[in-house]
Amino acid sequence: MRFAFTEQQLELRGAVRQVLASECTPADLRALHERPPEPAAGPALGRADPGRTSARWAVLAELGAPGLLAPEAHGGLGLDEVDLTGVLEEAGRVALPEPLGESAGLVVPALAGLLELPGAGADAGADPGKVARWLGAVAHGEAVATVGGVEVGRAGPVLTTAPLDPDAQLPDAVPCRTPRVVASDRADVALLVAPGAGGGLEVHLVEAAAARRLPTPSIDGPRRPGEWEWVPSPETRLASGGAAAVLVGSLVDRGALVAASQLLGLADRMIAMAAAYAVDRKQFGRPIGSFQAVKHLLADARVRLEFARPATYRAAESIARGRPGRAAHAAMAKALASDAADLAARVALQVHGAIGYTWECDLHLFMKHTWALSASWGDAVTQRARVLAEALAGRSG
Amino acid sequence: MAMNVVVCVKQIPDPAAPSSLDPGTKTLNRSGKLILDDSDSYGVEMALQLAGNVEGSEVTLVSMAPGGEVSGLRTALAMGAARAILVSDDSLAGSDALSTAKVLAAAIRRAEPDLVIAATESTDGYTGTLPVQVAELLGLPSVTFAKSVATDGRNLKVERQTEAGYDEVECPLPAVVTVTAGVVEPRYPSFKGIMAAKSKPVETLTVSDLGLDASQVGWAGARQEITDVSEAEARSAGEVVVDEGDGAERIVAFLEQVKVV
Repeated sequence: MRFAFTEQQLELRGAVRQVLASECTPADLRALHERPPEPAAGPALGRADPGRTSARWAVLAELGAPGLLAPEAHGGLGLDEVDLTGVLEEAGRVALPEPLGESAGLVVPALAGLLELPGAGADAGADPGKVARWLGAVAHGEAVATVGGVEVGRAGPVLTTAPLDPDAQLPDAVPCRTPRVVASDRADVALLVAPGAGGGLEVHLVEAAAARRLPTPSIDGPRRPGEWEWVPSPETRLASGGAAAVLVGSLVDRGALVAASQLLGLADRMIAMAAAYAVDRKQFGRPIGSFQAVKHLLADARVRLEFARPATYRAAESIARGRPGRAAHAAMAKALASDAADLAARVALQVHGAIGYTWECDLHLFMKHTWALSASWGDAVTQRARVLAEALAGRSG
Repeated sequence: MAMNVVVCVKQIPDPAAPSSLDPGTKTLNRSGKLILDDSDSYGVEMALQLAGNVEGSEVTLVSMAPGGEVSGLRTALAMGAARAILVSDDSLAGSDALSTAKVLAAAIRRAEPDLVIAATESTDGYTGTLPVQVAELLGLPSVTFAKSVATDGRNLKVERQTEAGYDEVECPLPAVVTVTAGVVEPRYPSFKGIMAAKSKPVETLTVSDLGLDASQVGWAGARQEITDVSEAEARSAGEVVVDEGDGAERIVAFLEQVKVV
């Protein structure tokens, strides 16, 4: 199989890189780190825009990034996951705090997939008109979308949404709590996974206005994680039963790809920062990068990154083509990308020496985003177990 | 009235990459990939805004570059220009500003413009003479240093930047206008624009296609020659004043000496 990016894919990536270089600076990230979490309420209009987060989303929307995977009939570009992975790598390079991965890479394909199902939403009776409306809004970047309620465990998806009252009878009209919803305070809508009847799963589309949202303290503050309290109902339900299981399976694979893509960009950025510092910083009359103890560290980090790249691109291709090995490929990509980014963070910190530990040095802005993403959608150990499970099940091809 | 707005764009070596002079010809090395001159992105944006105001209007790019280079043009096409004319010919190497103006004027004439927009100067050459030369060759009025441009399709209203503020200038179309950097916010090319740029027409012309003689352009036609290149003199260190309670007085004395106060 020939695998190289097309000229157009490289141009899209280049365009995002150029835009984000000026629209998402370390100063913006710093402003978001320093902004205290605020209770989510009210429209963003007229509010101050610390770290230019709203302005940046508007630029990304203008570019067409949120709708990259959406069908053209719904205002999107009709491109695929291979196109998206390069764009998200660039998002990682600047530690983009907005939920582009969640909106463009998870919610858009989930909604578009529901509309394509024969007898759309028949399993749950989701209103195709409502799904299409939200798909259009998210694809145009008018609505910011996020995802919650599911994480990745060794044995498969792990549900994190739980009823507030553990003894309550599921499924409907029982208030639930979903922890660690990213972009909690800036999302307009969330795709939330919840427990269904008889131990099954359900997927709901929940408007932010209908949820009580509480910020969660996080090392990666700009990512704005929070807890959503909400009430599942037939109106919010998108899918249940078999359709929900398929949707959640797809979310888990796509979540791994979205995180892996961004981790590649983060690793690249941190290695570049460390390499630049190693050239600039002199000790014993020479740049520290000339010492083997330093240059080998950087070379090892680079090698780890370059091995993670093709695995991530293959996962993108497998998901785009719906290949049977996509779950194994996504898991492998996430395992390798997490390891590569974690190593890049550690090496960059060591190469920077004491200055790397300071608030004033930009490195921490990228390390913290790396740690958060590396642990999300299944960390390296979990994803390795998934690779094994998929291989034993004969689905790794 | 629908307008055809022509924008002169230069494709230059990436200013972020280290540049070099060819030791033989003492001219800028342009063998690598060329990109859209940043200062031209303001002209493109201005043209797109003017064309966007009048239905049916289009923006045409005109450029001269070696090796059939189109990557800078693609960027401007992705921003929204409709088509491009590229003049690329080995005999153009070594062209001075006037020869370049002759070539561009001939190319612009083919596009039958209602308005020609250029940057005040390029980021790699800085001669700043080309736009007015083009205007003269085309026999069109020239308005330089525009900070805002408005048109009804027949006449042009320009606020022309001056040291003291700005002049209001009006002239009939067609005309040549140069816009200063920073007067508009150039748009980012969108994904849709990038995808569409692939299928937009780029007409590539040679010197003879334009009816010019190779002896009029390039090294053969240049009236300027770079005879020598030398390092700029290093800045002197300046004077360090240690404040011994009389710092303010000494600053005032210095400013008086250079006639600032």
